[in-house]
Amino acid sequence: MTLSPRRFAKPGRLIPAGTGETVIRVLLLSCAGLAVITIFFILAFLLRDGYPIFLETGTTDFLFGTEWNPTGYPVAQFGIIPLIAGTLCVTLGAMAIAVPLGISCAICIARLAPPAVRAVVKPAIELLAGIPSVVYGFFGLIVLTDWIRATFGVPSGESWLAGSIILGIMALPTIISVSEDAISCVPREFAEGSLALGATHWQTIARVIVPGALPGISAAVILGMGRAIGETMAVLMVTGNAAIIPSPLWNVLSPVRTLTGTLGIEMGEVAAGTMHYHALFGVAVVLLAITLVVNLAATTIIGRLREQYAPGKMLGRAVPGILRVPRLSPGVREWAQKVLLVAILSLIGLPFAGIAGYCGCAFLFSLAALSWRRVTPRTTQKIAFFLISAATAAVLLILAVILSDILVKGLPALSIEFLTEPPRDLGRSGGIFPAIVGTLYLVAGAIGLALPLGIGAAIYLSEYRTEGRLTKIVRTGTELLNGTPSIVFGLFGFAFLVLFLKFGVSLIAGQITLGLMILPTVIRTTEEALKGVPVSLREGSLALGATQWQTVSRVVIPPAVPGIVTGAILSIGRAAGETAPILFTAVVFSQRFLPDSPFSPVMALPYHLYILATNIPGAGANRYGTAVVLLLLVILFYAVAIGIRTHYQKNTHW
Amino acid sequence: MSHDTIIATEGLNLWYGDTRALADVSIQVPDRKVTALIGPSGCGKSTLIRCFNRMNDILPGCRIEGKVIFHGENIYDNGADPVSLRRRIGMVFQKPNPFPKSIYENVAYGPRIHGIRDRRILDSIVEESLRRAALWDEVRDRLSRSATSLSGGQQQRLCIARTLAVEPEVILMDEPCSALDPIATAKVEGLIDELKKQYCVIIVTHNMQQAARVSDYTGFMYLGRLIEFGGTTQIFESPRDELTENYITGRFG
Ligand SMILES: Nc1ncnc2c1ncn2[C@@H]1O[C@H](COP(=O)(O)OP(=O)(O)OP(=O)(O)O)[C@@H](O)[C@H]1O
Ligand SMILES: [Mg+2]
Repeated sequence: MTLSPRRFAKPGRLIPAGTGETVIRVLLLSCAGLAVITIFFILAFLLRDGYPIFLETGTTDFLFGTEWNPTGYPVAQFGIIPLIAGTLCVTLGAMAIAVPLGISCAICIARLAPPAVRAVVKPAIELLAGIPSVVYGFFGLIVLTDWIRATFGVPSGESWLAGSIILGIMALPTIISVSEDAISCVPREFAEGSLALGATHWQTIARVIVPGALPGISAAVILGMGRAIGETMAVLMVTGNAAIIPSPLWNVLSPVRTLTGTLGIEMGEVAAGTMHYHALFGVAVVLLAITLVVNLAATTIIGRLREQYAPGKMLGRAVPGILRVPRLSPGVREWAQKVLLVAILSLIGLPFAGIAGYCGCAFLFSLAALSWRRVTPRTTQKIAFFLISAATAAVLLILAVILSDILVKGLPALSIEFLTEPPRDLGRSGGIFPAIVGTLYLVAGAIGLALPLGIGAAIYLSEYRTEGRLTKIVRTGTELLNGTPSIVFGLFGFAFLVLFLKFGVSLIAGQITLGLMILPTVIRTTEEALKGVPVSLREGSLALGATQWQTVSRVVIPPAVPGIVTGAILSIGRAAGETAPILFTAVVFSQRFLPDSPFSPVMALPYHLYILATNIPGAGANRYGTAVVLLLLVILFYAVAIGIRTHYQKNTHW
Repeated sequence: MSHDTIIATEGLNLWYGDTRALADVSIQVPDRKVTALIGPSGCGKSTLIRCFNRMNDILPGCRIEGKVIFHGENIYDNGADPVSLRRRIGMVFQKPNPFPKSIYENVAYGPRIHGIRDRRILDSIVEESLRRAALWDEVRDRLSRSATSLSGGQQQRLCIARTLAVEPEVILMDEPCSALDPIATAKVEGLIDELKKQYCVIIVTHNMQQAARVSDYTGFMYLGRLIEFGGTTQIFESPRDELTENYITGRFG
């Protein structure tokens, strides 16, 4: 063998590569830094506009006052207890519905359904997570409240019950897909070990598999709860919005008003700088604190369970995929514990919502474990499987009813004219062209902002994380931002962009608000995709003398692209369907022309549907038409994303 | 030592968080020879070998004291750049880690990042590297196939070819044969014998016979310390340290 002469210039000394690396590093770092600045701004502006109410009304009277009457004369009253009660009631009810149904359905999909059924049902459920909340609200308002009114013989069906049902349905996809993941990830050997001892399939599920998946299932329940607490539009449309504490307390037919609903309704009508205005920001601060506590609870529970089921203690098994749930960095935990102390006073009732959730799920299993002890395991199994299958069927039925109602009544309303013409007669006739274009503008702007920023921040977090402290701050920011209800983003956009920066209600304000809202999703999905690339590949590249950026751009990013694209498309879907963030920042109801500058307001599909459904009597056909267009648009994005992911999951092997 | 030293450590200590993984390691590795590192599991062989090309830098919580001298320069000096160091000190990992790209792209990756664009030169580097890694005949017809479609042994030889393609001066191998069958192992061992004509090779192995077969020098490590270092024949036939002797003769916990 001949030895070839060395082909590369070999500098005698180990001189650092050029400045390119540094420039990229700084660029990525500034992306990450912007994420921090954002969260700082959100907090700062909410507090800035919220604190006067705590001074004026007094913290105790604000948090524990039992009367919410902001326009009362001569004395306006700002006690948020009725609102907190409303949020609690609705969330509690939603969890009571969603937890047993969702977990049963997850068990069914993960362990009972034949693979062919599973292959269809699983993506279908994920698809449903994409249905915009205003569409759920629309269905609730038109169909559900009517049904409640007729069934229970009450004057109006807009009630606690309606809110709980709709929120329960909305939380189902989250609970099902996250629990299903957790259950599927329990190692096959556990189940085999149990079956080999002569346990029935059901005993194995109830005693080995479900306990093994508990961290993931808890995460699912709490994530579902977070969604329910933060939801605005659907709740606002079906709960009747009377700021009263249900009397008696278990009167599920009483109208209620939630924290989010209050913001959604009153923010548009209040004059900036008044006490009422400040009170609403106070409400947003409370809402933010609640979601923070919920997220904190989730991560703590999961962290503790993860320790219990740590792979080392558990026969050295690999960590199930679901245990990769968001973890709070120590920095956040410290910080959040301080917040927790303050917040807990106002939130004493909240844990009950979680407890109710667990009760619902415990119900199913204790029923099996206790009351059927004397029955043979075979019979127990039959009953249990029947219940689980029934629950699954119920879930599928509910979702089928919603979709078919909207499709059947909406598709006939579609026509070329409907899609290409501006609305006439307050939207009762004419089309929705400006709304479609407005939504596309909003989404394009949001994604144009969030994608580069989010991907840059994610790359920094996952590939350049040697800075310690700074990285910790960035991660903290992202985590905090991630659980924030969308209406809070709306308020921030209103206070900062519309009023403070004097953008006015405008396209650009809406784009920025939506962009900030989806930023955490982009960061998280990108980071997860990057983390999925094995460390050994990075080492392989670095060992060849590649720089950090060469390694990242040529070895790490290419295999992560499908994951990043999936995240981006899911974000697009979410941005297209959201109403709350643009409610006070970007939209107007009726506009004949397209916006001519970024500073003019736009129409948007979700908002158009909201107004048609709630404020315009006699817009029947066009309401359904709008709902169908919005639904199809968002579902299309989600379908593409899920398709990409499934395709690459099948074809990826390292 | 009778040969030129290419890389040496002086009082090298390494901590992972609070655990000390290397304690006062001083070793002088000769150029154009094969040096084997042996020792019980967890004694710090991988840790030491990864110090030579600063792969430990990317591990969080890792702290290093002492010197590693490469061509008279301490590679842990503040101004020293790990990237240009790694170009000159290549590494083959225990588990084959081909990039999820084509076979051709895997080998061409190194030359490309070091600025070679000319397709003809790349072609010849790829062919030559694959030939020297004894893989060319098996893959010449399917260079554009994905590297992950190769068998484990082929993947490992591909990783060796990939390392050869950047023409380093030192090649570090961390248990390169642990995932291979006897035939593939024999091929890699033959390759190592070839390589030492031009390169310094440092190899970590658990296989005593392998160390005896391929290496010129052997170092025995125990609990983060380098217990004994010397010619392979000397270490295997007349070890000076009792620990070494116990390990080599298999009388070891
Ligand atoms: N990334 C790490 N973080 C913390 N401790 C580590 C890490 N890598 C190795 N260690 C510890 O350092 C010590 C030396 O590990 P090293 O991998 O160098 O051993 P080794 O000699 O290569 O073992 P083996 O023959 O099993 O590969 C071990 O005690 C190990 O637990
Ligand atoms: Mg090792």
